[in-house]
Amino acid sequence: MNAGGVAFAACATVAALALIGAPRADQASAWPVRFVDVSSDAGLTQPITYGDPARKRFIIETNGCGVAMIDLDDDGWVDLVTLNGTQLEPAARRDRAWPSGQAPRIRVYRNERGRFVDATASSGLDRIGWASSVCAGDMDGDGRVDLFITYFGRNVLYRNLGQGRFADVTAKAGLDAGRDRWGSGCSLLDVDRDGDLDLFVANYLSLDLATAPEPGQGANCTWKGLPVNCGPKGLATDTNLLYRNNGDGTFTDVSAASGVSRVTGRYSMTAAAADLDGDGWIDIYVATDSTAAILYRNNHDGTFTDVALPSGAAYNDLGSPQAGMGVALGDVDADGALDILKTHFADDIPALYRNRGRGLFEDIATQAGLAVQNRFVEWGAGLPDLDNDGWMDVFYVTGNVYPEIEAKLPQYPHRSPRIVFRNTGGGHFVDVTASSGPGVTTPQSSRGAAFGDIDGDGDVDVLVMNMNAPPSLLRNDARSGHHWVTVRLEGTRSNRQGIGATVLVTSGGRTQARAVLSQTSYYSVDDLRPSFGLGDATVADRVEVRWPSGGVDVVNAVAADRVVTIRERAP
Amino acid sequence: MRLLAILCAALAMGAPSTRTGQSPDTVQGKAVPGSLAPALAAARALVDGGRPAEALDQLTALDQADPRVRLLTGVALYHADRRREAIDVLERVRPGLPADSIERREAEQVLGLSLYLEGRFAEAIPWLERTRAVVPDNLEVNFTLGQAYIQTRDAAAARAALAKTFGVPPDSTAANVVTAQLMIRLQMESLAEAELTSALARDPRTPRANYLLGQIALFRGQLDAAVERSKSELALNPSDAMAAYQLGDALLRQNHGDEAIVALQRSLWLNPFYSGPYILLGRAYMKKDQPATAEGMLRQAIEYDPNNRAAHYLLAQLLQQLGRAEEAKEQFAIAEKLSTRGDE
Repeated sequence: MNAGGVAFAACATVAALALIGAPRADQASAWPVRFVDVSSDAGLTQPITYGDPARKRFIIETNGCGVAMIDLDDDGWVDLVTLNGTQLEPAARRDRAWPSGQAPRIRVYRNERGRFVDATASSGLDRIGWASSVCAGDMDGDGRVDLFITYFGRNVLYRNLGQGRFADVTAKAGLDAGRDRWGSGCSLLDVDRDGDLDLFVANYLSLDLATAPEPGQGANCTWKGLPVNCGPKGLATDTNLLYRNNGDGTFTDVSAASGVSRVTGRYSMTAAAADLDGDGWIDIYVATDSTAAILYRNNHDGTFTDVALPSGAAYNDLGSPQAGMGVALGDVDADGALDILKTHFADDIPALYRNRGRGLFEDIATQAGLAVQNRFVEWGAGLPDLDNDGWMDVFYVTGNVYPEIEAKLPQYPHRSPRIVFRNTGGGHFVDVTASSGPGVTTPQSSRGAAFGDIDGDGDVDVLVMNMNAPPSLLRNDARSGHHWVTVRLEGTRSNRQGIGATVLVTSGGRTQARAVLSQTSYYSVDDLRPSFGLGDATVADRVEVRWPSGGVDVVNAVAADRVVTIRERAP
Repeated sequence: MRLLAILCAALAMGAPSTRTGQSPDTVQGKAVPGSLAPALAAARALVDGGRPAEALDQLTALDQADPRVRLLTGVALYHADRRREAIDVLERVRPGLPADSIERREAEQVLGLSLYLEGRFAEAIPWLERTRAVVPDNLEVNFTLGQAYIQTRDAAAARAALAKTFGVPPDSTAANVVTAQLMIRLQMESLAEAELTSALARDPRTPRANYLLGQIALFRGQLDAAVERSKSELALNPSDAMAAYQLGDALLRQNHGDEAIVALQRSLWLNPFYSGPYILLGRAYMKKDQPATAEGMLRQAIEYDPNNRAAHYLLAQLLQQLGRAEEAKEQFAIAEKLSTRGDE
């Protein structure tokens, strides 16, 4: 880097610190986590394209896309996938026609023992367009992780052929909807305990580019008095989809019969599927923009009922709808039940729904200490234990959707820092953003984020999608001295990766819960092997797996600092 | 809708010639065919009677070349919430109407309002200013202009318009506070902060300035600042129930439940008819695991404010937690209904 570059970088860091305030000395000294962006060294230098960088004319340019940190080749190292978007022709209402070889592609980076190799060219992930989200899992029972990717347009199922190659099997699988929709979140889940993965697909809204209003041309087309792209309010909502896996590589649309499409009037976004009420069946939680969130309760007969409102997970603590974007599941108070973190728009705070048991949730975001950050639009989120102290922390990425407004409203910058809250115990959080290293404080306009351990050192790293910029690969250089255990599941009666399973790790008298999720954060996929911090303990006293098949396996006295594989026992 | 009626009346009062003082068959004294007059009067009556769609049906049957027909069509479109079409029609018809005629003023006035309601504030201002030139002291015109100027971030012009609206000197700290209050309503917190800081710099005892700065701090999640500002306001006026309520809100968010209860109780003693403190007391007692007291507070809130979604929602959650599922369901349904209504 030349001298000018150094000066610019220094200025950017100072500006970022000014945005988020200086850390308190007592917090900074005690927090061992420091993130460094190693994307350039890792070869993640290709920008992710998503609309016009300077001005978002239509809402399709604003939402960005997801990323994934998953072991695609089953070699024990998490590979990286970054989705991509496209652009509109200048002053037109059609997608840009890219010169040959220049279209933005979904990129795959193969992890070779901590070193990354760009494996995009031979991947077969060839669709160009407005990709939204990715969900991952073995959809055809061959043991390999397949990818389902949603689009503004037509969704795609990529079958993993092995050796880093994928094939588009959408039509063959019966998943071509036959018309363009705006696919948003998706999740794989075993709805009916038959051992294969069914598919839930969320749709954001109905948008016809040919007739969509221009910025400023309507009541829902201004923000703080400035003309901006219109929506989502004022645009028509759409319904969600559920496809049943027929067990032969094909799927049947059961959206109506299952009750999934009965839920209307929502702008659905990220979808996460796990057993949220502890009845052993997989439910679906959907973050929804500007409307009540959806909690599809699994009725054990192939149907679902939206119980978000009576469960307490639809609105914030005062019963107001929020602009839901991302979702993370974890156990912030280590009571063995899955809590929900949901991210929102600027001038709002995340919701943190504590699981009270019996399917009831309570938004404790304010009392948990999360209300001190509300200036930025919040997107991809996770509940990783960043310092492995046995308490799950909060990490979310941010970025405004109106790049053109920061010139007039500097308090709403287009690029903003990642936000980190340290769990000081029991689900009480302290903002440690400013002391979490340059990978966190350097501002970006980010969307998707995925969490996993790229270098096998036991701490959680983060892959982040940045709008019209290369992705960030944030390496966690924590010096905590704490221990950890990562759990790799191998389903037999259940799907191979154990997607949908809940894993409970007991150590030091506390039990933490995590779920294996085919989608989480914002439109993204975390490492399918859940990781747990153990603090000073060198042994996890008990690891319990509640499989999506309904079976339960327990392994006692698991040594720390390793990946342990738990294979589902035969009935 | 009501604003337009008021403005029409104001324009009529302030204008040198009025619609009622004119022959129905003239535009600024120029004769036009009289056969249209009864039909136009009927359509106008429909618009004034809140039936713009029917008026539009009737107007389509009339001579579209007649400027009176097109003007009334634009007005009816505005009333029918088809503002973009209204703007299009009025922009075309306005130049052809005689200067200083009541018809032209009406076109400009409705054009200004349509642009304002469409969020095209900068374009709306010239037409609203033309209306104000005719009725300079009209409260509604000044209020609308004040908001338009806030939206275009012209604080000085907004302050001048709003000072007139609220009857305070334009260079007073009261004008700053009133303008800041409107800025907060329009989510322009940084502009409001500048107004309030300016007011306090000139007079540290400016009423409501600390309260509103506390409100901004609360909105931003700056809870320590919210507590300090609320206390500063209470130091100036210990009988300010809203400042006590805001202090209780901030303290409750900080998990200082006992201190919050004191502040909220004081707020209620000062003004027992506002539902807000009852709701927060309900939350505070829920957190203290005193469900009976919490339920009493929430039911009291609902008694004073039956349409308060938060009160119904919190009561539903409390009942759910107490295992009173049917009662909870009832309250959730009310909260949901109120939520949906708010979205309409």
